[in-house]
Amino acid sequence: MKVQRIGIALLVLCIIGVTIVSTALIRYEKRTRSRDIVNKGRYLVTLIALHSIKDFEGNKRSFFLRTLHDYIASEGLAYCLIHDHTGQPFVVLDPYKLVSRIPQAVQLKSLHTMGLTDQTFHTSNSDQTIYEFAKSMFENGEQTGTVRLGLRPPPISLFSMERVGLLATIAFFIFAMVPFVFLGIKVALRPLKNLRAKMENMAGTSMPVETSAAKVPRIEDVIATLDQSLGLLRERYKRLETANIESQAKKGVIAYERKQIARILDAVHYGIIITDTHDHINHMNAYMLNLLSKAPGDVIDKPLGEILEHEKILSFVSGEEGVTQKTAQRDIETTFPAHAPGETFQVTLSYLDDGDGSISGKVICVKNITNQKSVDRAKHEFVAHVAHELRAPLTTIKSYNEMLMDGEIADSETQKEFYNTINEETDRLAGLIENLLNMSKIEMGSLTTERELVKTDRLVKDCVAAIEAPAQKKHITIEKKLPDKWPSLVGDKELLKVAMINVLGNAVKYSPENSNITLSLSEQDHTIIFDVMDQGYGISEEDLNHIFDQFYRSSDPHISEQTGSGLGLAMTSDIIQLHGGRIDVQSTPGQGTHFSIRLPREDYRLGKQ
Amino acid sequence: MENNKKVLVIDDDAQIRRVVELKLRKQGYHVVIAMNGEEGLQMIESEQPDAVVTDVMMPKLDGESLCKQTNHLKKQRPFLTIVMTNRISPEDRHWVKEMQDTHLMEKPFSPTRLLGCIDEYFRRSGS
Repeated sequence: MKVQRIGIALLVLCIIGVTIVSTALIRYEKRTRSRDIVNKGRYLVTLIALHSIKDFEGNKRSFFLRTLHDYIASEGLAYCLIHDHTGQPFVVLDPYKLVSRIPQAVQLKSLHTMGLTDQTFHTSNSDQTIYEFAKSMFENGEQTGTVRLGLRPPPISLFSMERVGLLATIAFFIFAMVPFVFLGIKVALRPLKNLRAKMENMAGTSMPVETSAAKVPRIEDVIATLDQSLGLLRERYKRLETANIESQAKKGVIAYERKQIARILDAVHYGIIITDTHDHINHMNAYMLNLLSKAPGDVIDKPLGEILEHEKILSFVSGEEGVTQKTAQRDIETTFPAHAPGETFQVTLSYLDDGDGSISGKVICVKNITNQKSVDRAKHEFVAHVAHELRAPLTTIKSYNEMLMDGEIADSETQKEFYNTINEETDRLAGLIENLLNMSKIEMGSLTTERELVKTDRLVKDCVAAIEAPAQKKHITIEKKLPDKWPSLVGDKELLKVAMINVLGNAVKYSPENSNITLSLSEQDHTIIFDVMDQGYGISEEDLNHIFDQFYRSSDPHISEQTGSGLGLAMTSDIIQLHGGRIDVQSTPGQGTHFSIRLPREDYRLGKQ
Repeated sequence: MENNKKVLVIDDDAQIRRVVELKLRKQGYHVVIAMNGEEGLQMIESEQPDAVVTDVMMPKLDGESLCKQTNHLKKQRPFLTIVMTNRISPEDRHWVKEMQDTHLMEKPFSPTRLLGCIDEYFRRSGS
């Protein structure tokens, strides 16, 4: 197909070349012949006009005509006319019968010429060009006649022998030149072809698919391709620019979000380490950096083992690799003796899932659980204490009751003592339960406590009534120093009563028989002061530091002999604090103790809760 | 109903001491009393009791330490120890197992069962 096209193109090229060359040759020949005819005509007409008109009379005329006749075929003589001075034709040679077809204007111009004229004309019924030359004949200064001569240019033959040879040579050269030109163009276009290929590569695959014929590197194709490539490149550049702006914006958003996430991680109160799949650190939050005394630059992209020199955690983190359930969280408890001595930490390991179920890293959380552990321990101890305290009266009740039921106690005095003990222990149990309920109420704080008007006269009266019986039993005198004008309080009356009865009850419990207890109520600077002073055994300095601790029981025999839950003063202190007050104690062993409760005076306002 | 066995009762709770003392004395045991662990430790050495009934949570010296400190004495002169505790924990069982002739009894307890336990010990030991 390609070869055929090239052949056709070559043939067309050859024909065009030959035609152009031939046309040029013919035009050149026509011009040359025209010039030759003019020269020949002028020469002949001048030659004839040199003769005298008499030279053409008689026998001379026929000789002249025969001589001229020879010119007809060889030199293209069309006709010859010699006119006398009157304009009448004197000699006529007209082999082609053309004279009668000469236009009138040509004839007139020739007859009236004084010198030499030449003109061309076409005979009326043919396209043939005729050259007419005319010259006047003079003799002794007078015009004796006019010579008119017509010459006909010979026909030009395109395929004359010499011309065919020339044309063949030209054609041969054209054919011979074609491969060279083709090769030359190919070599010249090679850089362009390469350039085009590069442009296509740059523009991508969106270039139109080309036919095999179009692969011939035509310059228009190359330019069109370049133009197309540039257009595509411009389009691509625009797209890239838009994408670039978008990606810059996205990058900004991502950077902001990344910072925000880092800030959030820094705000939490536990350590976070994020690692990649090779256990290199991707992120460590502020808490963890602070715990390990490191700067962010020291840890990022470093192996975890290099930064966290902690065998237990490292083996925990690496040992988890074999776990099949990657989503499951596991934790261990450990310490950082070098960085946080005495503190306990919980280390939790979880896996980062990249969305398709494969693991992309680990998250290690390090939480300080020292407080939580101590709270847990305290809770555990509290429950154990409560259980112990509840069991103690129950043990007495059960064993005493069994003795009575089995008839083991024969004498009525001991029986009475046993019944009394059971009764007291039941009260103690009830009191203990009441205390526990109150403690729960206090722990819930202001949510469950009442805020009502508490009249101090009523409060003191109730408290004194509660301890009167045991005081009388020990012959203890209660001295009261009370104000004339009773101040008022706002608070939970029942809880305040519990607090004050605890203090007064302790005074009775830990005072020897026949001693005095002084109770006073006063007001000073908007503060109500409730003082209880006894002449009891007193509290040692060591015990003073713990008397408000839950379940603390002194080892002093005067105190440990008496039943007690170890909750009373702890609860009293909590109640007073809940009411915005404080409780102080001063004591001298062997002399007595002074408890002082201070509560802010507050007038009850209607509607205030 | 006199027998010559001496029982030491160690408890910081006067009411418990009282009821145990009454129950055992009624059965003819000779009862001696200690109010805390430290006192109990001294009396084990001085009184040389045949049986000891002790509380666990006591001031000065707890029941567990008391038992551990006196266990070596049982090699020369065996005696029964009954440890009375509010709640028997696995740890309690563990340490009691290591002690010679030592038993746990949970509170609230039955005085009759306590007596039965002591009687049983003396019957088995054949004394």
